[in-house]
Amino acid sequence: MSDTTTRRKFIDTTCRVVGFAALGGVGAVLTSRASAHGVYQVDPLKCTSCDLCRTTCVLSLSAVKAVNEFSKCGYCMLCPAYMDVTSAPNEKGVPSGKVCPQDALKRRVVGKEDPDDPNNNYYEYTVDEPACTGCGKCVKACKPPMGNGSLRLEIRYDRCVTCNECSILIACPEAAIVRVPAPGLSPLVTHGETANG
Amino acid sequence: METYPRRYAPVATLAGRGTAGEFRKSLSGVAVGADRAIHALGDGEVRVFDANGGVARAWKAPDQAACLAVAADGRVFVGAPGRVEIYGVAGNRVGGFAIGKAGQPADVSAVKVFRDAILVADASARLVRRYDANGVERGLIGSQHKTGSFMLPNRSLDIDVDAAGTVYASDTGRHQVTTWKLDGTPVAAFGKFGMARPEDFVGCCNPVNLAVAPDGCVVTGEKVAARVKVFGPDRALLAVIGPEHFDPMCIHIHLAVDSSGRIVAGDPVRRTITIFGRS
Repeated sequence: MSDTTTRRKFIDTTCRVVGFAALGGVGAVLTSRASAHGVYQVDPLKCTSCDLCRTTCVLSLSAVKAVNEFSKCGYCMLCPAYMDVTSAPNEKGVPSGKVCPQDALKRRVVGKEDPDDPNNNYYEYTVDEPACTGCGKCVKACKPPMGNGSLRLEIRYDRCVTCNECSILIACPEAAIVRVPAPGLSPLVTHGETANG
Repeated sequence: METYPRRYAPVATLAGRGTAGEFRKSLSGVAVGADRAIHALGDGEVRVFDANGGVARAWKAPDQAACLAVAADGRVFVGAPGRVEIYGVAGNRVGGFAIGKAGQPADVSAVKVFRDAILVADASARLVRRYDANGVERGLIGSQHKTGSFMLPNRSLDIDVDAAGTVYASDTGRHQVTTWKLDGTPVAAFGKFGMARPEDFVGCCNPVNLAVAPDGCVVTGEKVAARVKVFGPDRALLAVIGPEHFDPMCIHIHLAVDSSGRIVAGDPVRRTITIFGRS
C-alpha cells in the first residue's frame, strides 16, 4: 500500500516537475524571441515629420511623441518650433501664432530673468505628452538651419503596444521606423538647464 | 523684385574646387589684412591668398581653430577653444594666451584687434572679453545687459571693431547688432525680428555674422535664408546679397570687408570664398 502510494506520488511529482520545466522552457524561448525582435523606434536621421505617425498608429492617440533634447536646444526666445514665425506679430513684435495645434509645447523662463521684458529671456521647452499627437510640426520647424534640431519624434514605450507589425512602420515612406533591442534608441534626454540655459 | 540703393556682384571666387587653395574639409573664417590680402582659416591651416587667388603662404593652425583676425601690423590672431594664438606675418608663432578658466575652455567664436586691445568673443560665457597686448583680461563687453550677457541661442557670437574703436556684436537672440565702447559701455543697437521686411532679421537667431566696412556700413550675414545685407551708417538697408550666392544650409557666412569696401564672404558649406564688389 505504502509502496504504491510512494510510486504514484513519485510519478505524479515527476510529471509535475517535467510539465513545469517544459512550460518554463517554452516561455523562455518565447521571451527570448520577443527580446530578439526588440521594440520600435523612430530613426531621427530618416524621419521627415510627415504626420503619418499621428494618423497611422493603431492607438487613438499615437504612441509617437515629440521630445526635446535639451543639450541641443538653443532655449530661444523666438523658438521657430513654438511660434509660427510667419504669423502676424503681436504688440511686442513677436509672432502671435503657435506651431503646435494642440499647444503641447510648453515653455518657462530659465537663467537670469529680465523682469521688464519677457522677450529678453531664455526659455526651456518641454512637451506635454498627453496632449502631443505626434504630428511632428514642431520637429519640422526645429530642423536646421532654422533651428538647432533638438526636437524629434520618439516612440514612447509606456504607450506603444508593440504590435507584431507596427502600422507606422508599414506606412512610413522613409523607413524611419526601425526595430531596436530594448530599451532601444530612446535618447538620453537630460532634464534641466544646460550651459545655455 | 526689391531694389536697393546699392548693388553688389561677385568679382572673384577663391578656394574653389580644383584650385590650389581649395579647402577639402572645412572653412572656418576669413579676414583681410591692411594690404587687402585675404586670410582664411580651414583644413587646419591659415592660408594667405595672393592677388591672383593662389596661396601665397600657409601654416598650421591650432586644433579646432574657429576664427581669425589680422592686425594692422600684419600679425594674425587665431581663436581656438580656450586659446588665442598670435602669428607673425610669415606664420611664425609670436605669442598666445588662454581664454576662460582652466578646465572650462572658452568657446572662442571671434577675435578682433584694435590697437593694443584684443577682443575675444566668448560664446560659452556669451560675452566679449577685452585683453591687453600681454594677454591680461581688462574688461567685459555685454555684461551690462539686463540678463547679464548676449543672447545666443545658436552658440555663436561674432564681433568687429571700426576705426574709432567702436565694437559691433551680433546679439542673435535679440535680432540686433549692438555697438559698444571698448570699456563695455553700450552705445546703440539696431535691428529687430521680422519675416516680411528685408531689413528685419528672420528666425530664431540672426544676424549670425557681421563685419564693419571702412565707410561705416555694417555688413550682416544671416541663415535661413542665407544672405548678406549692407546697412548704411544711418542703419538704413542699402543692399542685399541674396541666397542664390550661398548654400541653403549655410548657417554661418564668414564676413570681412577690405579697405576698398569689397565684401569677402566665406561659405563654409561650399567651402568657397566669394568677393563681392559694387556694381
